[in-house]
Amino acid sequence: MRGLLIILITGVVSVPASLPAQTTKTKVNTTAGKAVPRTTDGKPDLTGVWQGGSSARGSWEEANSGLGLGGNGTNPDGPSVRSASERPTGESAPYQPWAAQKVLESYKKRGIDDPVNLCLPPGPTRAATQGLFPIQFIQTPKQITILYEYMNTFRNIPLNAKHPDDIVPTYMGDSVGRWEGDTLVVDIIGFNDRTWLQGTGTFHTEALHVTERYTRIDKDQINYEATMEDPNVFTKPWTIRSTIMLREGTRVREAVCAENNVDAARFEQYKKDGVNFSR
Amino acid sequence: MKREILAVSCFCCFCFFALPLLAHHSFGAEYDANNPITVTGVLTKIEWTNPHSFIYVDVTDDKGNVANWKLEGYPPNVLYRNGWKKDTTMKIGDKITVTGWRARDGTNLAQSREVTLPSGKKMIFGPPSGTGDGGAAPAVEVR
Repeated sequence: MRGLLIILITGVVSVPASLPAQTTKTKVNTTAGKAVPRTTDGKPDLTGVWQGGSSARGSWEEANSGLGLGGNGTNPDGPSVRSASERPTGESAPYQPWAAQKVLESYKKRGIDDPVNLCLPPGPTRAATQGLFPIQFIQTPKQITILYEYMNTFRNIPLNAKHPDDIVPTYMGDSVGRWEGDTLVVDIIGFNDRTWLQGTGTFHTEALHVTERYTRIDKDQINYEATMEDPNVFTKPWTIRSTIMLREGTRVREAVCAENNVDAARFEQYKKDGVNFSR
Repeated sequence: MKREILAVSCFCCFCFFALPLLAHHSFGAEYDANNPITVTGVLTKIEWTNPHSFIYVDVTDDKGNVANWKLEGYPPNVLYRNGWKKDTTMKIGDKITVTGWRARDGTNLAQSREVTLPSGKKMIFGPPSGTGDGGAAPAVEVR
């Protein structure tokens, strides 16, 4: 370790090429968007299929032909969409020193201890900010349901409800929502400690409390903000921000991760054979 | 006599700006971003499976020896949204060229990136190098 000191955790990734969404954000936000669709009760209607980890407008094909899977398709080293292993920009992640050390260890092991390697649900904040797989909102006056193609998981968010008294910790937690003006605010508790929050190694405990804010600013864009609180690992709340873009014509499809998940076993074989993958 | 050629290129320090990414397994742990390869051969099998797809390519060297290479890529839904059509875009028996990065254990296994089809059209099949391993910088800043 040569006396390496963990100074702080930064939410600002020092890999600008990895954040294509940010390079277009200013342009996107100054573009006059179409009006926000509304339900009969006047609330913003989030119903539709969306893509997290992006700020590009248009269909899935239009928005991802340049950035999504590698430049224009002829540049293999072109940037890709944001993954569930990557963090959007936001304020610094205030891990306590001992916890920061643990995060660093995961990074050095290149994330082989990532729970999603075992096809486990990613937790709501990773599910909302990854960009490879679409998200579907289904909104009713009393409940909003979010379907995630990634790991084929979902969240039911009853509105103006209280968390139940008999919560058993889960990967996606227990969500309740309310409208604050045009912003959907979702309160999530009841987490287990088997997900990462944003970026490799960003672990938490069952004390995690997440407050999400979804603000549809025009037809195409939802501004997403998540504040994560966990006094067992953080020194203060950690807030990340991202955008979620409408992808009309896209379907959320079945994706059964356990179908042919050979990678985790390969990691174990590497360790057994002494193959060096650390950094 | 035409022979398929396996070209394994090692360019140290090349590609190591390793763009972070992909949504799933740590490709960066399994595959060496400093060991880019290009494989040309005959497609023998395609596994359109989650969480990742695989293609298998028979590669014949200058001496006539045939080795079967396994190349990992995006899952079916990602490929579908990128224009791939199962059993149509690419068929068993097609001669293809695949670029990517070799497995750290040195076997005939690689992470794919780009496939050149018999028509000459190039399509992305797998993620950038270093994908999913946390990127070029840790979540924690160190000095």
